[in-house]
Amino acid sequence: MRRVLVTHVESPVGRRVVKALFHDPDVALVVGLGTRPEPSFLAPYRGKVAYQRIDLAKFRHLQSFLHSERFARVRPDSVIHLPFAVEHSLERVPGGVSTLVSETRRLVEESVEQRGIERFVYLSSAFVYDPVPGNGNVVSESQGLGFDGDGDALVRAWIDADLVCQGELHGSNLRMTILRAATIVTETGEFVNSPPLSHAQAPFGYDPMLAVVSDRDVARALVLALHADKPGIYNIAGREVFPRSQLGAPPPRSALGLGAAWVERLVRRAPAPGRSFDRYGLVPSARLAHEALGFEPQYRIEVRGQGAARRIDTVRCR
Amino acid sequence: MSRDEPTTLGPSLGTDPFAQGDGTLPYLIRLRERSMRIVAEPVPRRPRGEPREELLEAPDLGPPVPELPSFDDRDESAGALDRLAGLLLSAGEEERLTQLAHSLGSRPYDEFGQSPRVTRRALALFKFLYRYWFRVTSSGHSVLPEKEGAILAANHGGLLPFDASMIVVDGVLGARPPRLVRTVVDRWAGTLPFVNVFYARVGQVMGSRDNVRELLRANQLVLIFPEGMAGVRKRAAERYVLQPFHLGFVEESLRHRVPIIPVAVVGADDQAPVLWDVQPLAKLLGLPFFPITPTFPLFGLAGLVPYPVRYEIAYGEPFRFYDEFPPEALEDPHAVRYMAERVRRRIQEMVDQRVLARRSKRS
Repeated sequence: MRRVLVTHVESPVGRRVVKALFHDPDVALVVGLGTRPEPSFLAPYRGKVAYQRIDLAKFRHLQSFLHSERFARVRPDSVIHLPFAVEHSLERVPGGVSTLVSETRRLVEESVEQRGIERFVYLSSAFVYDPVPGNGNVVSESQGLGFDGDGDALVRAWIDADLVCQGELHGSNLRMTILRAATIVTETGEFVNSPPLSHAQAPFGYDPMLAVVSDRDVARALVLALHADKPGIYNIAGREVFPRSQLGAPPPRSALGLGAAWVERLVRRAPAPGRSFDRYGLVPSARLAHEALGFEPQYRIEVRGQGAARRIDTVRCR
Repeated sequence: MSRDEPTTLGPSLGTDPFAQGDGTLPYLIRLRERSMRIVAEPVPRRPRGEPREELLEAPDLGPPVPELPSFDDRDESAGALDRLAGLLLSAGEEERLTQLAHSLGSRPYDEFGQSPRVTRRALALFKFLYRYWFRVTSSGHSVLPEKEGAILAANHGGLLPFDASMIVVDGVLGARPPRLVRTVVDRWAGTLPFVNVFYARVGQVMGSRDNVRELLRANQLVLIFPEGMAGVRKRAAERYVLQPFHLGFVEESLRHRVPIIPVAVVGADDQAPVLWDVQPLAKLLGLPFFPITPTFPLFGLAGLVPYPVRYEIAYGEPFRFYDEFPPEALEDPHAVRYMAERVRRRIQEMVDQRVLARRSKRS
């Protein structure tokens, strides 16, 4: 029976993970960590789920929690860490996305030192990969990472945090599993664990294919990784892929008329340096996760309509 | 503190889960009932006294209507291009495209960005190039597998890759059943705006090992030009002389146990004979090569239009190296080089036969 610590429990993926763990008979106890006051959605799960308000980015907060009597009573043996599944727009994270890297580093270090913690499951992103030029490209776990000092700050943070966890892949104290998820779509049609997919930022002449996955499927994959004793790196993706123009937010309406709208679009779509994922497609192959963890997407994403009338739905597969 | 009353750990940690008894049970029951309501919808019962319906034999309505991919805007906003494609394509060609679309199921795009809708539009245009511009004749379709995957290894020539597009059109119009040939394209093409999107929508993929492996796992026909860019930029004096082969296609064939089908294309090397490759200019412009042809750059971009030469496509007997060699051969570079050389010689023979036949016919 596992006793699991789930970070960023108030995030859309965190909620799904808590619900999945609550119904999991092999999990005895779940402790959710979050920066906000206790979310109301946890109320029905109190029998098995506890909540601790804590800012993981602050060293003292983490230390005081790890050495508290509460932590000693909980005695978690597993950690599910979801640092980048926090906000709709990660660029608005207070203190910048680099704080999420430092919090990941501290949590991994403390988990190694805490002898009771055996397993660590980290949710990374498929945007860590270096995209191959082209519109649609399947990438496996062996694909190189997109190291670029001048690149996007968010992608650099993803790669840094991924590398921190990779450092413990072959460690003796901790069984580390890294799940690199495609763009996660929540029930309300929002994108999580993804760079902003604004339509205006896509360079002219490029419309890369992006893989999507439902937040419920990601939660399932996290739980599967928790139970399967198979440390390593796995891609997580759904069955559907879409052109970025179909997923991205519609461009703002111009008040200047039709001709000006085209000029505006041309100007806005000037290629941005260092954002190769704006041009080249990234479709992670989840074959390894299927073979090793038994992961199979159970939900599919449907995009209906275009522009302002666009709607994104999550539908259960038959 | 007694065991019965719940322990409060503080305002943030909530109640102590160990101190609770069966507090979650009513919730679980409610949850299960709710989920059962969602999953199991009530089936309307037959009222008492109403006679049971007789099971009749289904009327013969002919063959079932093939299921079309569920595009969100298939009927409502079918654009002018779709209507034009509908006029240009015959009923038989539409049926072949429908059969191809089946492989995608209900998805509007596959992993590589291929869209049946854009493929249909492109086929309507390229069919005219196939029939009336290049007047393609092809032979040996029987070696193309019906469902299994295979690697098509072909010679490459001409300035623009019309040889690849003609093989793709031939796969749709000539093969039985129709197969969509997925060409592996040079990475440089993937960096070009608009071109990269068009290639992907009509089923071409960029040259990476992961892409090829995924296609072969999905039992697709993968067209590879093992000469690479060297085949395109070779000068007119070297036309129909195959350049040294890259070895990746043999390795993937052995790894996935798929046959290599040699494909000879005659005509592509005549469509735009390269007189000179100005490498310094190519480096300056960031291009893989800068060709001088009789018409380019003399007539500007119009000089890139291929000459209306006759094309001939021939499929040869497949090589099944995985049956001839043990799996360890994959690790032996000499063995892989030997296999690639056998394929190269076979394609060269096929090309030479057809070029000689052409010359004798002219004389």
